Parts: sequence; structure tokens; C-alpha cells
Amino acid sequence: MDQPRRDEDQELVARTQSGDASAFDQLVIKYTPRLYGLVYNMTSNHEDTNDLLQDIFAKAYKAIRGFRGKSSFYTWVHSIAVNMTLNFLKKRGRRFQLSLDDVDASIQNDREFMELTATSSPVREADLSELQRRLNEAMMKLSDEHRAVVTMFHIQGMPHAEISKILRVSEGTVRSRLFYANRQLQNYLDEFRKNPVS
Amino acid sequence: MDEFNDNEIARLLRLKRHEQPPPGYFENFLHEFHRRQRDELLRQPLWRICLERARELMFRLDVRSLASYPVAVAAVLVCAAVISLKIYQEPEKTQVALQDAPALSTPANAEGEWTLASPVATRIFRTQPLRNFDQSAQTHRASAPPRYVLDSVPVSYEPTFKF
Repeated sequence: MDQPRRDEDQELVARTQSGDASAFDQLVIKYTPRLYGLVYNMTSNHEDTNDLLQDIFAKAYKAIRGFRGKSSFYTWVHSIAVNMTLNFLKKRGRRFQLSLDDVDASIQNDREFMELTATSSPVREADLSELQRRLNEAMMKLSDEHRAVVTMFHIQGMPHAEISKILRVSEGTVRSRLFYANRQLQNYLDEFRKNPVS
Repeated sequence: MDEFNDNEIARLLRLKRHEQPPPGYFENFLHEFHRRQRDELLRQPLWRICLERARELMFRLDVRSLASYPVAVAAVLVCAAVISLKIYQEPEKTQVALQDAPALSTPANAEGEWTLASPVATRIFRTQPLRNFDQSAQTHRASAPPRYVLDSVPVSYEPTFKF
């Protein structure tokens, strides 16, 4: 994580700890999009994500007085988010419905998307909503812990070291989970590859 | 190609970044956060709010740092001083009370007159009866039912009204 962001977070945390609630507002504004992506891709449900995100920031606000800065605020708040989401998913179980956000129109200009549609016949043949549904269904077939690692690494672009700090596991465990999750995703998406339009 | 390779899986998953909440969601999130916090605060009982405020105050004052060794020793010494003072004073109080008890039972002056100079407490609140139990028992006949003197002057001594 870059140093200016860390310093800025430290200052906002210190101000929050001294009773300045507006400093915490700035942290909320700063981290909402990122944490939304994390929780949404672990739950595949917009309403659950919204409720969880509210609870995550409420918990962070209550706990911030005890935050001693041993890790960065970034790592700390992500740990809260992942743990609360994993607990929620355990309670929710397998009974749930996908409630997916719309795909941003900017995807059409995404270089990787253009490359995929050019080289991969299933992606080219399937429409966008079908691709989205298949991807989310495949993700939801993973275990919660594997999905967390896949979300942080592939979707959010976090390095292994950061993920290991957030999950409090070794980097080896992170790599192992990623490897296993990729194999599973290959199997789950195999049907999509064979039959892109269902 | 038989199946998606790791690189393709990674690229497919990265496309999920384009799944975005409705427009304005992030702008309204903070407002919604404040609203929920207020609602939660209103639902809490008063004692819990007070407890949290007290905890917050203690945290701001950093009570843990105040509770250092010299402060703890000073607090113990003060407590010991207060307790020893109380223990030292208590027997004296008892003695004074015993000595004062007859004075309270007697009138303010010898004639029982009520003067402005006499203390109010001795005139109004008579804590002891004029006669003790043994004295009053001697006035009763053995066969007669017990009589209760409600005032210092028996009812039978009151002058009768004649019209």
C-alpha cells in the first residue's frame, strides 16, 4: 500500500479516535466502493451487501478506539469486512437468490473484455447478462473461504501478502486456496464453454 | 482449446469489476449510514447510552495512564486516611449520644417553659418518654387492663367542661 494513503488514513483514524466524527465520514466515503466490491462479490446479492456494509462500518466505528495501528487501517477494515461477511454467509447457508448489479456500460471499452470476445468463442457468443450469471453461479459454488481469496486476488487485485494479513493465514495458504479455486472454476465454467447460450 | 486456462479465468473474473450498484448509491451511502446510526441510538435504553458515554469519557481521559503506580499509592493512602478517621470518630459519637440522651428528654429549662432561646429540637422532638417503663408499670393495677398514656397529662386530669 502506498505511503501517502497510509499516512492519510492514520491521520483520519487519529482524528476519529479523538472524537471527530467527520474524519470517520471521510474514511467511510473512501472505503465504501472498495468494500462494496469485496462484500458484493462474496455474496452476489446487492441487498445483503448493503446491509452488511452498514454493519461493517458501524462495527468499525465502535471498535476504532481500540485500533492501535499495528496494521494499516486498510488491512484492519478489510479484516472486519471479510470476517463479518464469512459469518453472514455461514448463517445464510445455501438458500439464497442472486441479486446482481447491472454491468457498467464501460465494459464495452474494457481492453480485456474486447480481447476475450475476440479470442474466446463462448464469451463472444454469450450475451453479457448470461456471462455475468454464469460467472456468479460459478463463484457461488466455491466455498466461502475460497471465494474470499478469489475476490481479493482476481477481482480486487490485492497481492498475496495483503490477503494473508487480512485473513491471518500464511501466504502459502493463500496461494494454495487460489490454485484450488481456479481448478474448481475451470470445471464449473466448462459447461459454459461447451454451451455458451443456455 | 479444452478449457479456460488460468489467465482466461483471471480475465473473466476481472470483468466482475464492472458490476456496479445503481447510480448514486455511493453518494447516498453515508447519509443512510448516519440515519441508521441515529435510529439505533434511539432504540437503545437510556442506561446503555449513559454507559457508553461514560466509557467514551474514560477513554478520552485515558484512565489507564492515570492509574499509574504513584497515583494508585496516593489513592490507597487517601482511602486509608478516610477509613481510619471514620473508625476513630465512631466511638466518640456513641458516647456523646449516650450522654446527650437525658438532656434531650428533659425540657429546655427547669420550668418547662418555652423560650426562644431554647433549642427547637429539644422543645419539639421528645425522644424519651417522661417516665420509664418500670415507673409507669407501678401505677397500673395488676388486674386492670393496660392503659396507654398518650400524653404527659392523663386524660382524667383534664378539666371537664360545664355548660
